[in-house]
Amino acid sequence: MMHPIDESVRVATRRQLLKRSAQGVGGIALASLLEGAEGGLPALPHFAPKAKRVIWLHMVGSPPQMDLFDWKPKMQEYFDKDLPESIRNGQRLTTMTSGQARFPIAPTAFKFAQHGKSGAWISDILPWTAKMADDITIIKSMHTEAINHEPAITFIQTGSMIAGKPCTGSWAAYGLGSMNKDLPSFVVLNANHTHPKANVQAISAKLWSAGFLSAQYAGVALRSGGDPVLYINNPDGVDGKTRRRMLDSLGELNQMTYDKLGDAETKARIEQYEMAFRMQTSVPDLTDLSKEPESTYKLYGEAAKKPGTFANQALMARRLAERGVRFIQLYMRGWDVHSDVPEILPAQCKDVDQALYGLVQDLKSRGMLDETVVIWGGEFGRTIYSQGKLSKDVYGRDHHPRCFSLWAAGGGFKPGVVWGETDDFSYNIVRDPVHVRDFQATLMHNLGIDHRRFTYKYQGLDQRLTGVEEAHVVKGIIRS
Amino acid sequence: MKPALLLVSASVFAQTKPVDFQREVRSILSDACYACHGPDKATRMANLRLDVPGPAVVAGKPEESKLWQRINHTNVALRMPPERVHKTITDAQKVTLKRWINEGAIYKQHWAFIAPERPQSPAPRDATWARTPIDRFLLARLESEGVKPAPEADRRTLARRLSFDLTGLPPAPADVEAFVKDAAPNAYEILVDKFMAMPQYGEHRARYWLDAARYADTHGIHIDNYREMWPYRDWVIKAFNKNMPFDQFTVEQLAGDLLPNPSIDQLAATGFHRCNITTNEGGSIDEEVAAVYAKDRVDTTGAVFMGLTIGCATCHDHKFDPITQREFYQMAAYFRNTTQKAMDGNIHDTPPVIVVPSDRDRTRWLAVQQEEKDLRARRERHRKNAHPAFEKWIASGKYKSFQQPFKALQPRFVATAPVNLPDGVKKAEGAAPGTESIQFAKSKSLELPNLKADLDSRKPFTIAAWVYLPKTEGDFVVASKIDRLDTKKNILRGWMLDFDARRPRFQLYGGVEDDLLLIRTGQTVRLKAGAWHHIAVTFDGSRDYKGLTMFVNGKVQYTESNSSTGYGIVEGSTIAQAPLRLASDGNKRFFEDGRIQELRVIDRELRDDEVELLSGWLSLEKALASGKAPEGPARETLELAYLNRSDKQWQKLSAQWLAQIGEQRAIERRSPVTHVMNEIKDKDPEAHILFRGMYDQPRDKVNAGPPSILGTMPADLPRNRMGLAKWLVDPKHPTMARVTVNRFWQEFFGTGIVKSSEDFGAQGLPPTHPELLDWLAIEFRESGWDVGKLVRMIVTSSAYRQAAITDDDKRKKDPENLLLSRGPRFRMDGEVIRDSALEAGGLLVKNMGGPSVKPYQPNGIWETVAMLGSNTRFYKQDHGKKLYRRSMYTFWKRSAPPSSMDIFNAPTREVCTVRRERTNTPLQALVTLNDVQFVEAARVLAEHAMKLPKSDFDDRLNFITARVLARPFEERERGIVRAAHRDLLLHYDAKPDEAKKLIATGEWPVDAKLSPAELAAWTMVASQVMNLDEALNK
Repeated sequence: MMHPIDESVRVATRRQLLKRSAQGVGGIALASLLEGAEGGLPALPHFAPKAKRVIWLHMVGSPPQMDLFDWKPKMQEYFDKDLPESIRNGQRLTTMTSGQARFPIAPTAFKFAQHGKSGAWISDILPWTAKMADDITIIKSMHTEAINHEPAITFIQTGSMIAGKPCTGSWAAYGLGSMNKDLPSFVVLNANHTHPKANVQAISAKLWSAGFLSAQYAGVALRSGGDPVLYINNPDGVDGKTRRRMLDSLGELNQMTYDKLGDAETKARIEQYEMAFRMQTSVPDLTDLSKEPESTYKLYGEAAKKPGTFANQALMARRLAERGVRFIQLYMRGWDVHSDVPEILPAQCKDVDQALYGLVQDLKSRGMLDETVVIWGGEFGRTIYSQGKLSKDVYGRDHHPRCFSLWAAGGGFKPGVVWGETDDFSYNIVRDPVHVRDFQATLMHNLGIDHRRFTYKYQGLDQRLTGVEEAHVVKGIIRS
Repeated sequence: MKPALLLVSASVFAQTKPVDFQREVRSILSDACYACHGPDKATRMANLRLDVPGPAVVAGKPEESKLWQRINHTNVALRMPPERVHKTITDAQKVTLKRWINEGAIYKQHWAFIAPERPQSPAPRDATWARTPIDRFLLARLESEGVKPAPEADRRTLARRLSFDLTGLPPAPADVEAFVKDAAPNAYEILVDKFMAMPQYGEHRARYWLDAARYADTHGIHIDNYREMWPYRDWVIKAFNKNMPFDQFTVEQLAGDLLPNPSIDQLAATGFHRCNITTNEGGSIDEEVAAVYAKDRVDTTGAVFMGLTIGCATCHDHKFDPITQREFYQMAAYFRNTTQKAMDGNIHDTPPVIVVPSDRDRTRWLAVQQEEKDLRARRERHRKNAHPAFEKWIASGKYKSFQQPFKALQPRFVATAPVNLPDGVKKAEGAAPGTESIQFAKSKSLELPNLKADLDSRKPFTIAAWVYLPKTEGDFVVASKIDRLDTKKNILRGWMLDFDARRPRFQLYGGVEDDLLLIRTGQTVRLKAGAWHHIAVTFDGSRDYKGLTMFVNGKVQYTESNSSTGYGIVEGSTIAQAPLRLASDGNKRFFEDGRIQELRVIDRELRDDEVELLSGWLSLEKALASGKAPEGPARETLELAYLNRSDKQWQKLSAQWLAQIGEQRAIERRSPVTHVMNEIKDKDPEAHILFRGMYDQPRDKVNAGPPSILGTMPADLPRNRMGLAKWLVDPKHPTMARVTVNRFWQEFFGTGIVKSSEDFGAQGLPPTHPELLDWLAIEFRESGWDVGKLVRMIVTSSAYRQAAITDDDKRKKDPENLLLSRGPRFRMDGEVIRDSALEAGGLLVKNMGGPSVKPYQPNGIWETVAMLGSNTRFYKQDHGKKLYRRSMYTFWKRSAPPSSMDIFNAPTREVCTVRRERTNTPLQALVTLNDVQFVEAARVLAEHAMKLPKSDFDDRLNFITARVLARPFEERERGIVRAAHRDLLLHYDAKPDEAKKLIATGEWPVDAKLSPAELAAWTMVASQVMNLDEALNK
């Protein structure tokens, strides 16, 4: 006997059913995970994209630009001299240094040299990065509005200083959909640092939350300790076969419930349990590095063998990219160098340097760099003047919103470009400023998205990543 | 979602009816035009607005109306809306606009801003179906749509639905069976009463409210340390359990502190607005942070009590609702008038807080406070009365012989410069001219091994010194006595007085990892460089951080204090072997160019007047040396000295006062605190309009007031939070009652009558049943805001009692069940799913209230995101009963909320949430399949089933399904499970080790008498039942 509900289900393809359900009460989370489902908005991309995916390496706490990319030789003469008032020019300071009696200049303790055809000045504590100077676009004229970490990270990730807006990865997952059926579209990684004195800043799930977009677009954290995805492992004593047996009859029972009540959510739940089972296979495969050849570790460094290191997580980022993950957000903490820059910064750089080179070269040799944007940078810059004690080899740097350096590679960014210029004090931008919003607009552009037209209706407004203020695609740093 | 609704409305209001501005026109104008021609005057173009009647619309004459002309303009450059805004008006919408103008272009106030009036209860054709007035409204609508309600659900389904909705737990199988057999005509109502009388009722209602109140156990931003707030959570539970009228519930939470002689409970209630996230991030600017807090409170108040997105008017006038930016800041003013500091200090008791003593301590606590106040007053009176005696003493000249004021203070020692000073340490001028201090060159310090300078955490003491801060930045260590037990792990024993970025700081180290007490002045109290300061720290010998007080120049300071353990107690011994060192921490930190004078230790906790005396003494000494009677502050210091030395009565009163403080502190230590609101009493609430919302761009000053669109503030109400609260519950308020009944409705039916329960404004969704909403709002208000009565009316309705069965007709005409053509059925919240697993397994511990608990959680959830210095960096899992408390008692760290609930769409509790999302994801499946909590509950449920006196397969399965689903399986279902069970048993029989591993999941002891293979197979069966769609849905 043909059940009337079965009839209607047969008529609608499953895709339609799921789509309808996703629009209905509750919706289907991780629509991007659905078998065969692409998700994404029909109108997107707006034009041919340069990049398919993004790997954003966020250095939480913010590295000091004048010790890494923004070389200021003149500052050597200014050692322990006061920052001229004309340069500070009424700038608001954090309350950590606003009461300081003096603002003595701390020139960088590191040596710089020019690299690549672009002649980019790069600090000698980034020797591997220096080797790929012609693969990356260095922006020395980034600037932001926030002066403290929480608002600043939230700003660069979500376009707003106040928590609650979706982050860039969620926007991408929402707008562009999924490129695979076994993994989420948006994955978050966390890398450890090694220096015990490094000053660590907080990060939290709100940074990879979907804000007002559906929770299905939130980042899924891939952990380097314990279960890589929360609860992915069966309990001890339950093997894959046993789980399969249990799920088979669970599915049958759920089907009976569906036959009885006709609730589309029941049907969706059956699918979700199947997807969970598939993830139980695909995630271990993802995190199993045993088949990586020795050459991988030559490239990323031996540290890549140790779970949780930056090198290890950079390698994981490549594996995620290979498997069709749309947006990979990697956080590494320990960059908040309020003191002891000369001691801590080299250690932080050593943690990341070779793996950065490794990741970019690896993507390149696999032919993936052209369609993958790699971004490296923090949430703001740091001050040329010292916070706290100052000597040639002891100084600290406070937060500085007016300029900072960041680099991007691949996926439409023009390689071998050094963009923008700051004054002698690395304090104010003198040429080609790039606001955080401009950078977001440019990133969106490379993904084939016009940031002005990519909106989501919330609280009556057409919300967008770049907010209501003006933002411009920086044409000079992208390939035409 | 919205299009579906419009579709429904379109079919109801057929073309023959006149166009309804509310339903059909406003949304078109709002969407396409208001951004430039709406309420916001800052962005208004051509000085033309379309949200109110104006020249652009000529009634009855579309062709003469500028609106009509411009949306149809042939010149693209002149056509509205302009291209740059990416908006279009469809042809269908144009037809509607034209008809509206033709019919007279009647503007109506947005429905939500018009106070509700009690509508006529409709008379549906079927007079028998309706049990409550609610049903008549719903049925009338169903009939007009041509949809039949579903039949009543069977009794087991009803018992389960009721139990989950009223208590958040599955029903006891015995209650289900009794109800099934109960032939009484009011059997259902009896069951309702039974569930509503359970203490779990209040817990379940409170859980929803706590989302709205953004309640959690940490501060939320940056360090995200523990915040002691749970007495507020318990207050909410109790309020629901005693069915507190909702108006009182509102007034006490918004303004309990402004009630006459508020009780401890009424003060605790004001925790509602202390649940916002706060920061202590270094470098933050107070003004900016204070503006953010006020905005959060306005947003929350708007969403919860008014159904308005007032926060949209932070930077400019509201784009869609008639709320001006000025009005936003008038609302903000209510919350700016607080004694709360911007920085939370990273402490668990950020002022203002109150102590919430146990019932046993409460009477004495209140008495002790009064006694302390009285004593203080008596002491002050005595001081005044003794003044003539002091003046006489001065006049007599006796003061000239007054040389040793500190005899009464009896210092253990005063460190002065020894005769032979090492290199780089020299004598220099002191804090007062002619006095002497010790000055230190770079990396130089002074060891004074002969001074017995230990400070014991179990004994009271005072340590004080004059300190000169050099003009350069650097390490400022005043003194230390520290043993370094483990340099790598930084384990110290002893104490140190130093400066942290020019904030004075004192630490006591217990010689064990993370065992220390710390006190330092708040973020913004940084002492001036190039100046002398008198620093004093007193301690009561309690080992508790609350016993530490810090003074600068004789005045008590606002401080941050905490212990690393987060519990506020230093455990180990603080007695160090190392000598007393001035200007060194015994390691690498010194006091370059700093000066120290008269470092002294006293074996007593000095009172505030004594510290004041201490800090005043140098100047007094100088004044005395001149031979003349001191004047001004020095004379006041002398008077204090005189009282302390010569006035017996003063000494007696002072001693009594200190004892009183001691008793207070004793009660404090055994009681929790909770965060409360506290108004600045001698100031009217006010705020500045912030240009574009920027804290550093203040403009006009405004006084407190509500948004005028919801009615004016009656003249007799005070212009503070109390006035605001009273205004909200005033019968004339248009949204308060509607918003409230809508939220309760949503708890039971899954979707509100207004789906956007946080936004009743122009951009919110219109009500599906406007008359019903108004009727309920008025009924609720006139019942005396009786929540219990409202809940009872909802659950006894025929609508609620329908079976949740969908058919093609309903799917077509009512796809989202917005018309309630069937019973409510949806996936339950994460807390309910976990609680119900625990309850089914017989594990749930039903104690009410108390500190939050830490049940199982995967490793590393907190560490991955936490700051190094955070006291919620490491998740220390509890054991025993605390593993099995209701989920609402699980410790809620905002930057990493409990993962199993987070995955089920629980909010982070960082901001107010009145409506949770409800997704359906594979990650959720992984939780209920694999989380130890669920596997353990399945195993213990299986054990109970196996231990039944008579126990064949069917009995066991019946036992399990009765506890999880409130029903026995049908034969076909039974067959499926029997086959699975057979396979699983075969598997585990063959692999006994695997079986043992599985049943060892969780800390609940395994019953060794049961066969491991059999228990493992039954565990999988129980887990399977718990993972059924039916089990996850109510």
